[in-house]
Amino acid sequence: MKLLTHNLLSLHVWGVRPCGFPLHLQATEVHINPVEFNPNFVACMILKVEWEVLLEAANSLHLIKVPKETIQGYKHDKKFLRKRHHTLLEVDVLECILQCPESGCLFPISHGIHNMLETEI
Amino acid sequence: MSDVQEATNQLLDVNLCENQMSVQVTESGPRSESEHLQVTIGATVPTGFEQTAADEVREKLGSSCKISKDRGKIYFDISVDSLAQVHCLRSVDNLFVVVQEFKDYQFKETKEEVLKDFEELAGKLPWSDPLKIWKINTCFKKKKTKRRKINPNSSKEKTDKGQGDTTVEKDVKKEFTNSVSDSQILDCYENPAIKEEVSTLIGDDLTSCKDEAEENSKEEADSEVLKFRVTCNRAGEKHCFSSNEAARDFGGAVQDYFKWKADMTNFDVEVLLNIHDNEIVVGIALTEESLHRRNITHFGPTTLRSTLAYGMLRLCAPQPTDIIVDPMCGTGAIPIEGSTEWSNCYHIAGDNNPLAVNRAANNISSLLTKIQVKEGKLSLGLPIDTIQWDICNLPLRTGSIDIIVTDMPFGKRMGSKKRNWNLYPACLREMSRVCRPGTGRAVLLTQDKKCFAKALSGMGHLWRKVHTVWVNIGGLHAAVYLLKRTPQSFVHPSEQDGERCPWYKDR
Repeated sequence: MKLLTHNLLSLHVWGVRPCGFPLHLQATEVHINPVEFNPNFVACMILKVEWEVLLEAANSLHLIKVPKETIQGYKHDKKFLRKRHHTLLEVDVLECILQCPESGCLFPISHGIHNMLETEI
Repeated sequence: MSDVQEATNQLLDVNLCENQMSVQVTESGPRSESEHLQVTIGATVPTGFEQTAADEVREKLGSSCKISKDRGKIYFDISVDSLAQVHCLRSVDNLFVVVQEFKDYQFKETKEEVLKDFEELAGKLPWSDPLKIWKINTCFKKKKTKRRKINPNSSKEKTDKGQGDTTVEKDVKKEFTNSVSDSQILDCYENPAIKEEVSTLIGDDLTSCKDEAEENSKEEADSEVLKFRVTCNRAGEKHCFSSNEAARDFGGAVQDYFKWKADMTNFDVEVLLNIHDNEIVVGIALTEESLHRRNITHFGPTTLRSTLAYGMLRLCAPQPTDIIVDPMCGTGAIPIEGSTEWSNCYHIAGDNNPLAVNRAANNISSLLTKIQVKEGKLSLGLPIDTIQWDICNLPLRTGSIDIIVTDMPFGKRMGSKKRNWNLYPACLREMSRVCRPGTGRAVLLTQDKKCFAKALSGMGHLWRKVHTVWVNIGGLHAAVYLLKRTPQSFVHPSEQDGERCPWYKDR
């Protein structure tokens, strides 16, 4: 699971207001896979993702410190974008347990594939 | 030799950066005569997606297409230099080079006369240029480990070509073979294979390529006769002959003319005779196996053709940084096609069945291995992820997805029509929740059009149907619907006054 996906995951109980975002990460195996760097992609993604959530997830995995605030003119700062690219796409969580903050349900990730079926309750 | 170097570089460029293709009819420097040829190429595409394929050809090759009345075929002109790029087209199944086209062929009255005409036709057609193209093309293709073919370099040259040209052509082709064998467009594997088997296949392949290149000179002395077969497709009501008869007689004449050997299974040249009412097209096939099985090594019960997946993705015009989800991915044909062609978007594949999810994950790792072998460098990851989930309750944030592309269960091989009555409305509702209001869109393929229409009718405030493409999937008349998400944001039923879709309440 890439951290970009984690950013999109949220538990949602039908009929009730969405809850369960973000999911707590308890990772046991993490790989770093190089992915082709596309600065435009990262620059636009920065606007679409929830950065606090991503940073918290990255920190819980004990990765290199990612700068918190977006600096002025970040779109042209290759170094900054590279660090963000690394967090977004290159970190691959292979074995982990996700926990919903509201209901406490646990969802395992095994071999990089999540199992998000509600039958886990 | 600067010519060869230039040609080789062009080929390598084509293979390594697909996204930056531009048509370069370079006039610099003297080139052998064959490379200035303009040829007409025909391609078979999934019926219904002719326009999409024509758009792709215009975008990648710069040529405009003619869409034939014979459904599922398009024709376009290119110069021989762009032949390699033609193989990179993602929306075509099979390619052939047109020998001659008859727009309004006058069939004689009786069967004997018609068949006699076909026999005479074989000797009158302009074969030399298309055969040149066929030879150049055979160098690009993967040399299969299964079928040991006679190396086409050793085939008898046509009588009207001078010796000088022959030598230049052969040298050029040898260069092509050597450089292309490293970065060849590997065709898809024929058997669902586990990872180890796949690597062995590739390994065998590369060794066989190198061996063949070395044995070039030896094989030239060997047998020079080509093997061929004729395939005839006939459609129309007023014909007094059958496709078999036409193929047989035309084939007989071809054999007499070229002195080739007829062989139905182990052929080098496949001659196509396509007859549609009064339109006849004679061609030579450029692809042995349909290109639609690329990317997938682990097949499921209802795996979608990659060419169809490409057509569907193209329909929704993905923009850079779009997040594209296939919530019922099965073997992952659509997200995998998407991640190779639109690598500046992010793809997520999901399914509720653990078998399907595993197959999708296996297909992704096979693809990574294939890319690694092809490009010879450390494989980069693909922008794609796999999740097991329930589509009626997607674990995704509201309004976070840009595009949804999926192949919905028809209710025939997968699921049932009865289940669809509950599934479709629930799917559409959940998809409308996660899809970004205003800019979001969905491309859905289904054969159960009645159920889909009913499900959609209750959601006019969330989805707007923009376009429908009628396609033929294995004989079933299916439709691909392009929907646009309205700007209205999603409101939870708990916040409404207990409004529920009438057919959702009871079974």
